[in-house]
Amino acid sequence: MSFTQNKETREAEEALVREFQGGNLKAYDKIAEIYQKRIYALSFNLTHNPMDAQDVTQEVLLTLFKKANTFKGKSAFSSWVYRIALNTTYMKLRSRKKEPNVSLEDLLPSYNTSGYQQDKIQDWSENTESLLFANETREVIQKAVDQLPEKEKVVFVLRDGEGLSTEKVSDILDLTIPAVKSRLHRARLFLRKKLSPYFEEYHSQRGKK
Amino acid sequence: MICCKECLDLLSDYLDGDLDAQTSSSLEEHFQDCPPCIAFLNTFKTSTELCRESLSKVEIPEMVQIKLKEFVTQNMRKKE
Repeated sequence: MSFTQNKETREAEEALVREFQGGNLKAYDKIAEIYQKRIYALSFNLTHNPMDAQDVTQEVLLTLFKKANTFKGKSAFSSWVYRIALNTTYMKLRSRKKEPNVSLEDLLPSYNTSGYQQDKIQDWSENTESLLFANETREVIQKAVDQLPEKEKVVFVLRDGEGLSTEKVSDILDLTIPAVKSRLHRARLFLRKKLSPYFEEYHSQRGKK
Repeated sequence: MICCKECLDLLSDYLDGDLDAQTSSSLEEHFQDCPPCIAFLNTFKTSTELCRESLSKVEIPEMVQIKLKEFVTQNMRKKE
Protein backbone atom coordinates (compact mmCIF):
# COMPACT_ATOMS: atom_id res chain seq x y z
CA MET A 1 0.00 0.00 0.00
CA SER A 2 1.75 3.11 -1.17
CA PHE A 3 0.86 6.47 0.31
CA THR A 4 2.11 9.70 -1.16
CA GLN A 5 0.07 12.60 0.05
CA ASN A 6 -0.46 15.53 -2.28
CA LYS A 7 -1.62 19.01 -1.29
CA GLU A 8 -5.28 18.34 -2.18
CA THR A 9 -5.43 15.16 -0.08
CA ARG A 10 -3.80 16.94 2.83
CA GLU A 11 -6.29 19.80 2.62
CA ALA A 12 -9.26 17.42 2.28
CA GLU A 13 -8.14 15.47 5.35
CA GLU A 14 -7.59 18.59 7.39
CA ALA A 15 -11.08 19.80 6.43
CA LEU A 16 -12.41 16.47 7.77
CA VAL A 17 -10.49 16.97 11.01
CA ARG A 18 -11.93 20.47 11.42
CA GLU A 19 -15.42 19.07 10.81
CA PHE A 20 -14.87 16.43 13.47
CA GLN A 21 -13.43 19.01 15.87
CA GLY A 22 -16.60 20.99 15.25
CA GLY A 23 -18.73 18.01 16.33
CA ASN A 24 -19.50 16.21 13.05
CA LEU A 25 -19.20 12.54 13.96
CA LYS A 26 -19.50 11.35 10.38
CA ALA A 27 -16.15 13.02 9.73
CA TYR A 28 -14.60 10.75 12.38
CA ASP A 29 -16.04 7.72 10.59
CA LYS A 30 -14.32 8.87 7.40
CA ILE A 31 -11.02 9.55 9.15
CA ALA A 32 -11.11 6.05 10.68
CA GLU A 33 -11.87 4.60 7.26
CA ILE A 34 -8.91 6.41 5.67
CA TYR A 35 -6.38 5.49 8.34
CA GLN A 36 -7.22 2.08 9.76
CA LYS A 37 -5.55 0.10 6.95
CA ARG A 38 -2.37 2.15 7.16
CA ILE A 39 -2.19 1.96 10.94
CA TYR A 40 -2.72 -1.81 10.84
CA ALA A 41 -0.07 -2.34 8.14
CA LEU A 42 2.47 -0.15 9.93
CA SER A 43 1.90 -1.83 13.27
CA PHE A 44 1.93 -5.31 11.75
CA ASN A 45 5.25 -4.62 10.02
CA LEU A 46 6.75 -3.51 13.33
CA THR A 47 5.26 -6.21 15.59
CA HIS A 48 4.61 -9.12 13.21
CA ASN A 49 1.72 -10.03 15.39
CA PRO A 50 -1.86 -9.75 14.03
CA MET A 51 -3.41 -9.39 17.50
CA ASP A 52 -1.01 -6.59 18.42
CA ALA A 53 -1.68 -4.84 15.11
CA GLN A 54 -5.42 -5.07 15.74
CA ASP A 55 -5.10 -3.76 19.32
CA VAL A 56 -2.86 -0.92 18.20
CA THR A 57 -5.26 0.08 15.41
CA GLN A 58 -8.17 0.13 17.84
CA GLU A 59 -6.21 2.15 20.41
CA VAL A 60 -5.12 4.67 17.79
CA LEU A 61 -8.70 5.08 16.52
CA LEU A 62 -9.77 5.72 20.12
CA THR A 63 -6.96 8.25 20.63
CA LEU A 64 -7.99 10.03 17.43
CA PHE A 65 -11.56 10.11 18.73
CA LYS A 66 -10.56 11.53 22.10
CA LYS A 67 -7.64 13.74 21.12
CA ALA A 68 -8.52 15.10 17.68
CA ASN A 69 -9.31 18.46 19.31
CA THR A 70 -5.65 18.75 20.40
CA PHE A 71 -4.45 18.58 16.77
CA LYS A 72 -3.32 22.11 15.96
CA GLY A 73 -2.12 21.66 12.40
CA LYS A 74 1.56 22.39 13.05
CA SER A 75 2.45 19.43 10.84
CA ALA A 76 0.28 17.40 8.47
CA PHE A 77 -2.54 15.45 10.13
CA SER A 78 -1.17 12.25 8.58
CA SER A 79 2.21 12.83 10.30
CA TRP A 80 0.38 13.30 13.59
CA VAL A 81 -1.53 10.02 13.09
CA TYR A 82 1.66 8.14 12.18
CA ARG A 83 3.37 9.45 15.34
CA ILE A 84 0.47 8.27 17.51
CA ALA A 85 0.54 4.89 15.72
CA LEU A 86 4.28 4.53 16.30
CA ASN A 87 4.04 5.46 19.99
CA THR A 88 1.17 3.05 20.54
CA THR A 89 3.08 0.27 18.77
CA TYR A 90 6.18 0.91 20.90
CA MET A 91 4.09 0.78 24.08
CA LYS A 92 2.83 -2.60 22.91
CA LEU A 93 6.31 -3.86 22.08
CA ARG A 94 7.63 -2.79 25.49
CA SER A 95 5.43 -5.41 27.12
CA ARG A 96 6.94 -8.13 24.89
CA LYS A 97 10.17 -9.98 25.47
CA LYS A 98 12.58 -8.64 22.94
CA GLU A 99 14.76 -10.69 20.64
CA PRO A 100 18.30 -9.30 20.68
CA ASN A 101 19.11 -7.24 17.61
CA VAL A 102 21.95 -8.33 15.40
CA SER A 103 24.85 -5.90 15.15
CA LEU A 104 24.36 -3.81 12.09
CA GLU A 105 28.06 -3.20 11.65
CA ASP A 106 28.67 -6.93 11.08
CA LEU A 107 26.36 -6.87 8.12
CA LEU A 108 27.69 -3.83 6.32
CA PRO A 109 29.99 -4.43 3.33
CA SER A 110 33.69 -4.86 4.16
CA TYR A 111 36.46 -3.10 2.26
CA ASN A 112 40.24 -3.23 2.05
CA THR A 113 42.32 -0.15 2.86
CA SER A 114 41.85 1.25 -0.66
CA GLY A 115 38.07 1.05 -0.32
CA TYR A 116 37.55 -1.99 -2.55
CA GLN A 117 35.11 -4.78 -1.68
CA GLN A 118 36.46 -7.78 0.18
CA ASP A 119 33.34 -9.95 0.29
CA LYS A 120 32.76 -12.53 -2.37
CA ILE A 121 29.43 -11.60 -3.91
CA GLN A 122 27.25 -14.15 -5.63
CA ASP A 123 24.65 -12.63 -7.93
CA TRP A 124 21.38 -14.38 -7.08
CA SER A 125 19.19 -11.58 -8.42
CA GLU A 126 17.81 -13.34 -11.50
CA ASN A 127 14.51 -15.21 -11.52
CA THR A 128 13.46 -14.17 -8.07
CA GLU A 129 9.91 -13.11 -9.06
CA SER A 130 8.28 -16.34 -7.86
CA LEU A 131 9.89 -15.92 -4.43
CA LEU A 132 7.31 -13.34 -3.55
CA PHE A 133 4.48 -15.82 -3.77
CA ALA A 134 6.02 -18.16 -1.23
CA ASN A 135 4.82 -17.72 2.37
CA GLU A 136 8.26 -18.89 3.46
CA THR A 137 9.84 -15.88 1.74
CA ARG A 138 7.57 -13.49 3.59
CA GLU A 139 8.45 -15.13 6.89
CA VAL A 140 12.16 -14.97 6.12
CA ILE A 141 11.83 -11.28 5.21
CA GLN A 142 9.77 -10.54 8.34
CA LYS A 143 12.37 -12.21 10.56
CA ALA A 144 15.17 -10.24 8.92
CA VAL A 145 13.25 -6.96 9.34
CA ASP A 146 12.64 -7.88 13.01
CA GLN A 147 16.38 -8.11 13.56
CA LEU A 148 17.04 -4.59 12.33
CA PRO A 149 18.01 -2.13 15.06
CA GLU A 150 15.00 0.07 16.01
CA LYS A 151 16.31 3.29 14.46
CA GLU A 152 16.84 1.68 11.08
CA LYS A 153 13.72 -0.49 11.28
CA VAL A 154 11.24 2.33 11.73
CA VAL A 155 12.71 4.31 8.83
CA PHE A 156 12.69 1.23 6.61
CA VAL A 157 9.08 0.30 7.46
CA LEU A 158 7.81 3.85 6.87
CA ARG A 159 9.84 4.51 3.73
CA ASP A 160 9.89 1.16 1.91
CA GLY A 161 6.92 -0.55 3.60
CA GLU A 162 4.48 2.35 3.70
CA GLY A 163 5.89 3.97 0.58
CA LEU A 164 6.23 7.37 2.26
CA SER A 165 8.62 9.99 0.87
CA THR A 166 11.94 10.79 2.57
CA GLU A 167 10.52 14.23 3.48
CA LYS A 168 7.42 12.70 5.06
CA VAL A 169 9.49 10.27 7.14
CA SER A 170 11.74 13.11 8.27
CA ASP A 171 8.63 15.06 9.37
CA ILE A 172 7.11 12.09 11.26
CA LEU A 173 10.31 11.13 13.05
CA ASP A 174 11.69 14.66 13.40
CA LEU A 175 14.93 13.67 11.70
CA THR A 176 16.99 15.48 9.09
CA ILE A 177 16.75 14.28 5.47
CA PRO A 178 20.38 12.98 5.50
CA ALA A 179 19.63 11.03 8.71
CA VAL A 180 16.57 9.37 7.11
CA LYS A 181 18.58 8.52 3.99
CA SER A 182 21.49 7.12 5.95
CA ARG A 183 19.28 4.92 8.15
CA LEU A 184 17.33 3.68 5.14
CA HIS A 185 20.53 2.79 3.33
CA ARG A 186 21.94 0.94 6.34
CA ALA A 187 18.67 -0.98 6.70
CA ARG A 188 18.73 -2.01 3.05
CA LEU A 189 22.39 -3.07 3.29
CA PHE A 190 21.60 -5.11 6.39
CA LEU A 191 18.62 -6.81 4.73
CA ARG A 192 20.57 -7.63 1.57
CA LYS A 193 23.26 -9.37 3.56
CA LYS A 194 20.86 -11.04 5.97
CA LEU A 195 18.67 -12.38 3.16
CA SER A 196 21.47 -13.36 0.78
CA PRO A 197 21.98 -16.94 2.10
CA TYR A 198 18.28 -17.70 1.61
CA PHE A 199 18.15 -16.18 -1.87
CA GLU A 200 21.45 -17.80 -2.86
CA GLU A 201 20.09 -21.20 -1.92
CA TYR A 202 16.89 -20.56 -3.85
CA HIS A 203 18.94 -19.48 -6.85
CA SER A 204 21.18 -22.56 -6.77
CA GLN A 205 18.16 -24.89 -6.31
CA ARG A 206 16.56 -23.42 -9.41
CA GLY A 207 19.83 -23.83 -11.29
CA LYS A 208 19.79 -27.57 -10.60
CA LYS A 209 16.30 -28.07 -12.00
CA MET B 1 37.61 6.48 -10.64
CA ILE B 2 35.62 6.12 -7.42
CA CYS B 3 36.26 3.08 -5.21
CA CYS B 4 33.77 0.36 -4.22
CA LYS B 5 33.03 1.98 -0.85
CA GLU B 6 32.14 5.34 -2.37
CA CYS B 7 30.00 3.52 -4.91
CA LEU B 8 28.12 1.30 -2.44
CA ASP B 9 27.59 4.21 -0.01
CA LEU B 10 25.59 5.95 -2.73
CA LEU B 11 23.59 2.93 -3.89
CA SER B 12 20.27 3.92 -2.27
CA ASP B 13 20.54 7.47 -3.61
CA TYR B 14 21.39 6.03 -7.02
CA LEU B 15 18.41 3.68 -7.09
CA ASP B 16 16.04 6.30 -5.62
CA GLY B 17 17.08 8.76 -8.35
CA ASP B 18 18.56 11.23 -5.86
CA LEU B 19 21.98 11.65 -7.49
CA ASP B 20 23.00 14.33 -9.96
CA ALA B 21 23.86 13.20 -13.48
CA GLN B 22 27.62 13.49 -12.97
CA THR B 23 27.70 11.34 -9.82
CA SER B 24 25.40 8.76 -11.44
CA SER B 25 27.79 8.47 -14.39
CA SER B 26 30.75 8.01 -12.01
CA LEU B 27 28.90 5.09 -10.41
CA GLU B 28 28.02 3.60 -13.78
CA GLU B 29 31.64 3.93 -14.87
CA HIS B 30 32.69 2.04 -11.76
CA PHE B 31 30.11 -0.70 -12.39
CA GLN B 32 31.48 -1.27 -15.89
CA ASP B 33 34.86 -2.23 -14.48
CA CYS B 34 33.79 -3.94 -11.27
CA PRO B 35 31.81 -7.22 -11.48
CA PRO B 36 31.58 -7.55 -7.65
CA CYS B 37 29.85 -4.16 -7.49
CA ILE B 38 27.48 -5.15 -10.31
CA ALA B 39 26.58 -8.28 -8.33
CA PHE B 40 26.16 -6.13 -5.23
CA LEU B 41 23.97 -3.64 -7.09
CA ASN B 42 21.75 -6.40 -8.52
CA THR B 43 21.30 -8.22 -5.23
CA PHE B 44 20.80 -4.97 -3.29
CA LYS B 45 18.16 -3.84 -5.76
CA THR B 46 16.38 -7.19 -5.74
CA SER B 47 16.39 -7.64 -1.96
CA THR B 48 15.12 -4.07 -1.52
CA GLU B 49 12.32 -4.68 -4.02
CA LEU B 50 11.36 -8.04 -2.48
CA CYS B 51 11.24 -6.53 1.01
CA ARG B 52 9.26 -3.53 -0.20
CA GLU B 53 6.75 -5.79 -1.99
CA SER B 54 6.46 -8.11 0.98
CA LEU B 55 5.88 -5.34 3.51
CA SER B 56 3.42 -3.46 1.36
CA LYS B 57 1.31 -6.60 0.87
CA VAL B 58 0.07 -6.55 4.47
CA GLU B 59 -3.69 -6.41 4.43
CA ILE B 60 -6.08 -5.87 7.26
CA PRO B 61 -8.24 -9.02 7.65
CA GLU B 62 -11.93 -8.56 6.87
CA MET B 63 -12.93 -9.74 10.36
CA VAL B 64 -10.71 -7.05 11.90
CA GLN B 65 -12.26 -4.42 9.65
CA ILE B 66 -15.72 -5.42 10.82
CA LYS B 67 -14.67 -5.27 14.49
CA LEU B 68 -13.05 -1.86 14.00
CA LYS B 69 -16.15 -0.58 12.24
CA GLU B 70 -18.25 -1.68 15.25
CA PHE B 71 -15.75 0.00 17.56
CA VAL B 72 -15.91 3.27 15.61
CA THR B 73 -19.72 3.16 15.63
CA GLN B 74 -19.73 2.55 19.40
CA ASN B 75 -17.45 5.55 19.94
CA MET B 76 -19.76 7.70 17.86
CA ARG B 77 -22.86 6.52 19.72
CA LYS B 78 -21.30 7.35 23.09
CA LYS B 79 -20.78 10.92 22.01
CA GLU B 80 -24.22 11.43 20.49
